[in-house]
Amino acid sequence: MSAIGSVRLRDIVKTHGPVVALESLNLDIEPGEFFALLGPSGSGKTTTLRIVAGLEQADRGTVAIDGRDVTRLQPGDRDVAMVFQSYALYPHMTVAQNIGFTLRMVGTPRAQIERAVREAAARVKIDHLLDRRPGQLSGGQQQRVALARAIVREPRLFLLDEPLSNLDAKLRVETRVELKKLQRALDVTTIYVTHDQEEAMTIADRMAIFIEGRLMQVGTPEAVFERPDSVAVASFLGNPPMNLVPGELDGRTLVVDGHHITLPHDHAGGARPVTVGIRPGDVRIDGEGLPASVYLTELLGETTIVNLRFGEQLIKARLLEKRHLREGDEVRISFNLPNVHLFDSASGERIALA
Amino acid sequence: MARVWPASAPARSRAWAGMAEAFKQERAFALLMVGPAFLVLVLTTTFPLCYLIYNSLYTINLSMPYLDGFAGLANYARLLGDARFWHALGLTAIYTTVTVALQVVVGLALALLVLAIPRGQWFFRVTAILPMVLAPVVVGLIWRSLMLTPKTGIVDLAAIALGFGSFNWLGDPTMALVSVIAVHTWQWTPFTFLVFLASLAAVPPDLYEAARIDRASAVRRFLHITLPLIRPAIVIVVILRVIVALAAFDAILALTGGGPGTATEILNLYAYRAAFIELNFGYGSALAATLLVITLVISGFLFRLRSPR
Amino acid sequence: MSRHASRAVILVTASCLVMFVWAFPVLWTLLTSLKPGVDVLAYPPVVIFEPRWRNYWDVLFGPTSILPHLWDSLAVSVLATTITLALAVPAAYGFARLRFWGRRALGFYTLATQMLPRIGLVIPYFLFLNRIGWIDTYRGLVLVYLTFSLPFAIWLMVSYFEDIPREMEEAAFLDRAGRFRTFWYVILPQVRGGIAVTVIFVFLNAWNEFLFAVLLGGKRVQTVTVHMFNYVGIEQTQWAMLSAAGIIAMIPVIVIGLAGQKHIVKGLTIGAVKGGGRR
Repeated sequence: MSAIGSVRLRDIVKTHGPVVALESLNLDIEPGEFFALLGPSGSGKTTTLRIVAGLEQADRGTVAIDGRDVTRLQPGDRDVAMVFQSYALYPHMTVAQNIGFTLRMVGTPRAQIERAVREAAARVKIDHLLDRRPGQLSGGQQQRVALARAIVREPRLFLLDEPLSNLDAKLRVETRVELKKLQRALDVTTIYVTHDQEEAMTIADRMAIFIEGRLMQVGTPEAVFERPDSVAVASFLGNPPMNLVPGELDGRTLVVDGHHITLPHDHAGGARPVTVGIRPGDVRIDGEGLPASVYLTELLGETTIVNLRFGEQLIKARLLEKRHLREGDEVRISFNLPNVHLFDSASGERIALA
Repeated sequence: MARVWPASAPARSRAWAGMAEAFKQERAFALLMVGPAFLVLVLTTTFPLCYLIYNSLYTINLSMPYLDGFAGLANYARLLGDARFWHALGLTAIYTTVTVALQVVVGLALALLVLAIPRGQWFFRVTAILPMVLAPVVVGLIWRSLMLTPKTGIVDLAAIALGFGSFNWLGDPTMALVSVIAVHTWQWTPFTFLVFLASLAAVPPDLYEAARIDRASAVRRFLHITLPLIRPAIVIVVILRVIVALAAFDAILALTGGGPGTATEILNLYAYRAAFIELNFGYGSALAATLLVITLVISGFLFRLRSPR
Repeated sequence: MSRHASRAVILVTASCLVMFVWAFPVLWTLLTSLKPGVDVLAYPPVVIFEPRWRNYWDVLFGPTSILPHLWDSLAVSVLATTITLALAVPAAYGFARLRFWGRRALGFYTLATQMLPRIGLVIPYFLFLNRIGWIDTYRGLVLVYLTFSLPFAIWLMVSYFEDIPREMEEAAFLDRAGRFRTFWYVILPQVRGGIAVTVIFVFLNAWNEFLFAVLLGGKRVQTVTVHMFNYVGIEQTQWAMLSAAGIIAMIPVIVIGLAGQKHIVKGLTIGAVKGGGRR
């Protein structure tokens, strides 16, 4: 693993007038990581990326790359490369000129530029397009040019701002695998912004969840998925999202919709209202359990999503088989108890697993 | 192997590196870019305008220099009581409203017409450019000598041939005004035509189809869909043409010189005549300043019409 | 089917009629410029005749040759256009792109100066240039031309600069191009179309200018537009010569107009759509 490209953000605050884009952010990114910034639009993830790049100045706080305080440095001096969501290719230059532009700006001799450009283009498999203009390329090809432009000067840090969002679904899935492979091959620290949680989960080594300007949780995809720290994070990850149902916790008893459930563990802290989080995959429709009625069934080929009316709630269950249930059917559901999450009602923070 | 940070960017940036914030650097660059132009702008506009106002407060009569001296608002007082001024003002109002109205109506009608022609629109666009690129003064001269001369000008001959008889196009006060308005409209309607052609073409056709399905007649489609959608274009066009009409000079000078008498003497021309023919620069300045204020007021008013969109 | 056909015929006829009205004066002038003296005032008007090319010869090389005036027009127009562009293009970039305090005020000021009636500028300029001896000189005239071409050029170019996404500069900064090099290598090439439009409009405006040229020029600096009046006497007009001179004066603008018509139409409509400005 590479030893360069660590990023330390300390107490970063950014406001746009009355709107707080980032609230006191502290984040560490390790060298060589593929690190995702995940969150809905407006959550501050892109702002964070741009602050690392130097395209925006934080109101307060510091940015350090490899131990050096770069907070005041110009974007060009930070030794980072960025791929923009719109690629921002120079339309009046050829692909080769686009890629080689930065080398030209620092006065690299021409022969060297040509070599470096060819190498970078070969890495992303566009060496046959070097004489074309961006306008003549497809979206996928343009994206590779943007990548090649970033690769060519071997920066400390790669910053990718939703690079796949302009591609169609199939291409997106193919390309993200290639991106991960590329990153491994180049062994360069990468910060990757996306709003697509599936994308982040599949390619990131670690990720940070942003919601409304706050950093909610940092960890490996597995860790964040299986132990979300808050209701907000829990409901953001997973497709379909986690079911959230109000209930009451008291010691070992959980009361949901008037029904008493005995939990595997005892929880201290007295009787209190909680939010119960159950992933659709952990809802079972058997012959026994709590009463519910079928609201709607979605047949997805290999799986079935059953929308159930449970008391006053609508919850979803995901079944790994084809089950034909008609609307209005009365069924019995049960929860896979070890995987049930409990969150404090008021703060939304995680209490424990059931 | 220790990795080296990139050397600072080339010398030019290093010179700016002294400034702490990126924002400050941006400002310095902006000043460098905008500064020279702005300086020239200020010098070439503000300065003359101030000088204009200044002169309007003086009596400057090159034909009777012994009268020169500070006059305060005397020129303006004279202006208010000057029948010829009010006459000029009235003519300006007529000239402006009629030419702009004609330009808009004819331009729009023509655009609608041409839009309905499936092919060959480029031909109309090219022909439309012709009148606009000509110097207004040349246009005036041509119309005056070749078109409107009684008995030899084409327009007059056409009028005779059509049974209307000959007119003194430029010698008769009313006809002169008509001619001057006609020539201005002739030259500038292509502008409104082209603008309307573009904005009409930009209206999504689905709207018309939806209206047709709703059984709206062509007239109603025009009134309720087309007009509201091109309203911004109409407003802009009106503003631009009004400004140009208020400042129209060259063509009128070439056609009639402001005459016969003062029949086509819009305020513009009166100021010119007062200053350069009667050599009364003080009074001419006052007239010009008044026209200036009127232009600004009207433009400001029209611009405000534009804002709530 | 026939209803459509007849409708089409009406449309085309009506449009062609108007186009004819627009094109006719120039065509008639061209015709007249070639007429021998006798045919010029003939009634009914002569359309077929023996062209007298000598008219052009007389205008171009005769005693009152139009050549020095063509040169004057060219010199003044080219100088004015070049200086205007050199000032306006960077300024427009500044306006469009860089955030700085005075931007709004500057924008308004630029717009306002475009709306000034020229007579309001001619009078003070006349008195002023007289005082510093710049009447009847190239520099005096060019300076004055800047008054109306500079705001217009800035205003035209601003919309072209605004059309370039900000990310373009950000990418360039990250590519280690400083602000100026970003402007020169990345932004400027992308507004070539806008520059072409601006050059056309500014040049046309300068070439066709009359008011400033006639009052602030003189014997030494007499542009073509002013020279035209030499053919119009009080007693009689030299029709053919006037027409020939007119055609010669019109040729450059017509050529530019036709060659750049796509640019012109785009410039007009951009101008109208984004608000405010002269021809």
